[in-house]
Amino acid sequence: MARINPEFTDELKKYGAFDANACYNCGNCTAVCTLSDEENSFPRKMVRYSVLGLESEIQTSLDPWLCYYCGECSSTCPREANPGELMMSLRRWLTAKYDWTGLSGLLYKSLAASIAAFVFLAAVVVWFGAYEHFHIETIMHYGHLFEVFAISFVFTFILLPNIIHMWWLTVVKSGKHVPLAAYFKALGELVVHMFTQKRALGCDDNQFRWLEHFILVLSYLSLLFTTVFLDWFSTNSMFIIVLGYVESALIFIVTFDFVRHRIIKDKEISKHSQPSDWLFVVWLFMMGLTAFMVRLFIDLNWLDDNVWMYIIQLIVLVQWALIIVPFGKWTHFLYRSFAMYYHKINEAAV
Amino acid sequence: MKKKVGVYICHCGGNISDYVDVEKVRKAVEKDESVFLAKTTMFACADSNQKEMVEDIKDQNLDGVVVASCSPKLHLLTFRAVAERAGMNKYNYVHANIREQVSWAHSDNKPGATEKAIKIVKAAIAKVRNAESLDPVRVKAIKAVAVIGAGVAGMRAAIELAEAGSEVYLIEREFFVGGRVAQWDDLCITEETGKELITRLYDEVMKHKHVTLFTGAEVVENSGSVGNFNLKVKVTPRHFNLQCNPGELQKAIDVCPVEVPDEFNFNITKRKAIYHNYPSEYPQLPAIDVKNCTRCGACEKVCSAVDFFQKIEYLNLKVGSILLATGFDPYEPKKGEFGYGEIDNVVTFPQFKRIVHYCDDKLMYNGKEVKNIAYIYCVGSRQVDGDNKYCSRYCCTANIHTAITVKKKYKGIHNFHFNRGIRTYGKAEIWYDESSRLGDIYLQSFEHDPPAVEKQGDKTIVKIKDVLTSDRELEVVADLVVLVTGMVPRKENSIGNLLKIPKGRDKFFNEIHMKLRPVETVIDGVTIAGASQGPKNIMESMNSALSAATKSFSLIDSGELALEPTVARVDEQKCKWCGKCDDACSYSAIDKIELDGRTIARVNSAVCKGCGMCLPVCPSNALDLIGLADKDMENMIDALLSNV
Repeated sequence: MARINPEFTDELKKYGAFDANACYNCGNCTAVCTLSDEENSFPRKMVRYSVLGLESEIQTSLDPWLCYYCGECSSTCPREANPGELMMSLRRWLTAKYDWTGLSGLLYKSLAASIAAFVFLAAVVVWFGAYEHFHIETIMHYGHLFEVFAISFVFTFILLPNIIHMWWLTVVKSGKHVPLAAYFKALGELVVHMFTQKRALGCDDNQFRWLEHFILVLSYLSLLFTTVFLDWFSTNSMFIIVLGYVESALIFIVTFDFVRHRIIKDKEISKHSQPSDWLFVVWLFMMGLTAFMVRLFIDLNWLDDNVWMYIIQLIVLVQWALIIVPFGKWTHFLYRSFAMYYHKINEAAV
Repeated sequence: MKKKVGVYICHCGGNISDYVDVEKVRKAVEKDESVFLAKTTMFACADSNQKEMVEDIKDQNLDGVVVASCSPKLHLLTFRAVAERAGMNKYNYVHANIREQVSWAHSDNKPGATEKAIKIVKAAIAKVRNAESLDPVRVKAIKAVAVIGAGVAGMRAAIELAEAGSEVYLIEREFFVGGRVAQWDDLCITEETGKELITRLYDEVMKHKHVTLFTGAEVVENSGSVGNFNLKVKVTPRHFNLQCNPGELQKAIDVCPVEVPDEFNFNITKRKAIYHNYPSEYPQLPAIDVKNCTRCGACEKVCSAVDFFQKIEYLNLKVGSILLATGFDPYEPKKGEFGYGEIDNVVTFPQFKRIVHYCDDKLMYNGKEVKNIAYIYCVGSRQVDGDNKYCSRYCCTANIHTAITVKKKYKGIHNFHFNRGIRTYGKAEIWYDESSRLGDIYLQSFEHDPPAVEKQGDKTIVKIKDVLTSDRELEVVADLVVLVTGMVPRKENSIGNLLKIPKGRDKFFNEIHMKLRPVETVIDGVTIAGASQGPKNIMESMNSALSAATKSFSLIDSGELALEPTVARVDEQKCKWCGKCDDACSYSAIDKIELDGRTIARVNSAVCKGCGMCLPVCPSNALDLIGLADKDMENMIDALLSNV
């Protein structure tokens, strides 16, 4: 017996723009969805759960992560209830629910809080630069150290506990018995989906978007590796330098295209941008662009006279690493792939 | 005895001729001594054939016609009209049914079907052979109509009749006009209130000098028939003089010691024995409910307008037609039905409307504020086990409209609609849309698995297996449960019994034909309108009221009525008056008269339907049906028994 909570949609609406109350349960959304099947039927079921406010049913469901948002359901909906954006909002809501710190929810719901956090971190970086008398080598040294420590810290204390929390909600709470071997057998699923987003190819007419996304993920991950472990900004290896240029260029070119779509709103998926979506693509774009520029300044020997260039890159990096990665949209990289992993595990459950 | 009968045998495309050898039928009957011509035709009802029949009748001087085709229900009137166009009396036409009774019924036995068809056609010829030319019965019609019930339908009909030029007697049993509509506040779709509609209609009624309104009035006796009804009306006094000082009136109400449940508010409040339902109610004069009044005299001391000497009056009205617009009762749930009468915060929809009327900034019930409201639909309608199989039509729309009103009027309201499929048909669909968009939650179940209302501690829980959430069991904590009750016929049906108006399976007044004759009853001259006929919304009630007014008016307009002559007749010599025919007659068409010192029966041909019920009970065989006399029947039976 589940008790109806009519207040839930009001809460959920803080995470996105949709009109689930308009739904009259025709089921067209589920019928047109190419990813929905008999076992995992969505988005209608999630729309209904949202209208009724069945929070625990939504929390324990992986369905929102199984949707890759082609937008077909929203353009087909006779009531303009926007089920695609509802699924997107549920993913934001779930991100907030998985996050033990509660900061994700705060930042999703409050643009003011997000801006304050971004401004605060920028100020800290500028203050740090001033503290070090804008001595470029010292700042770059600490900048590099920051990258290493930020990655370890964010992953260990925030992302890992959240992934475990997600596991608790979606696998353990179902009450089914999962044989240990299933966890190993499903690992392949995790790797494939983390690096390829293969499932997104199941959406209609999605090949180009998938390709762009695929290039972006690979460029981002390899740039991360190139800057942190190959020390791109200090290396003399021509191969690494060129590699870094290519990776960063690919990032800002692809994200530029993403931003362009969000501005001209030519597709269903780019019509309803929330602040978290803008911050994610714009900061990724700036990450690529500023890294590219910094390395260019180094190669042209301009950086010593133009420390501001590196300060800007560091500000973007710090905001990215401390806000967007742990609490923002970056997390979908992990939750999506882990959702596929947990889904596979659940399938193996007795 | 006719000598020149024309017989037409229809193929009906193939409906008849695929099973009946129509040519054989033609050959079998053409030799009959009375038959002058016999033809087969592809479609007897086709224009070309009708023209040919007219020509045949005129050119050949036919004196009788038989068409063997479909059921007389379909085309009897068509061919009677053909006869009339050809200048022949229409009662010289006889219809033989060889489709429903032969080809369709005996498609497995073609020779047998043909044989039966021949016999049926021969029987029709036997009947037409002695057919008499008949003229319609003409009766005088009084140009006045009694409209029973001064709700929206009755008042609308009265205005229409008066405008057309009829004298109208508008008879209302209650002391105030407006019926059920006066009890609703905001109405769907126009956003007017019930009171506003009533005021507009009442003003128009009062403007017409040809409308006479009686309140507190009831028809207690009825005699006569279409064109000439005599009604005896009992008028109960209000016990108030017309000049009534409002200040004194309030004092009189205050001092009245009698408190009774207020039916106007569906018993959620109490009223005094001196009452008006709301201050601006029409007529704007209070009344004393003498059934509950103890005659203590307290009111007389403070209000000079109180007059206990007023007496019941009886009036005799003569009218040509009667229009019934007596309305409906809301369904009263049984004790325990969805917790009604057992759980304190379960109310009916009409009660809920009145609660909303009385609550201004907070919705309160039983001293507690109401936030979560559960509406259970189809209570008393679409019953699986009960008798009310019908849909009450108005409730989905009215309730959703009220739910929206409530949501806009008060803060923090949550509406939960426990339905069996929403039927906000026609223009009302926009309300369903608006309610969903405002966040109302719709939960649906099927008829065999209704929602349940339970008390858990101090909480009222409504549970449902929701088909929209793949049969999940869901529950809502409700501050108020509203049973969306449908319409049932008026419990008090003395007028229906008095006029012998038949009821349908749903127990509402029954029309003759749902589609073709929707406002007439089998009692000639009595029409029905509004929710007395079945569940209707106000718009539909108005449509039927206008339609019934027109029908009633068309009966009396010319001052004379032409009625079917095929009625019973009494052989004055044979009749010895035993009264058995009178007992057998369902229409009270038999009068007892004195003729040359003897008591005999006489048939009132304006009332008689020609049903024949009186014939077999007559011990002296003094009764006969015009157009279907014993002799005709015997001739037909002989034809049916003859060898082919």
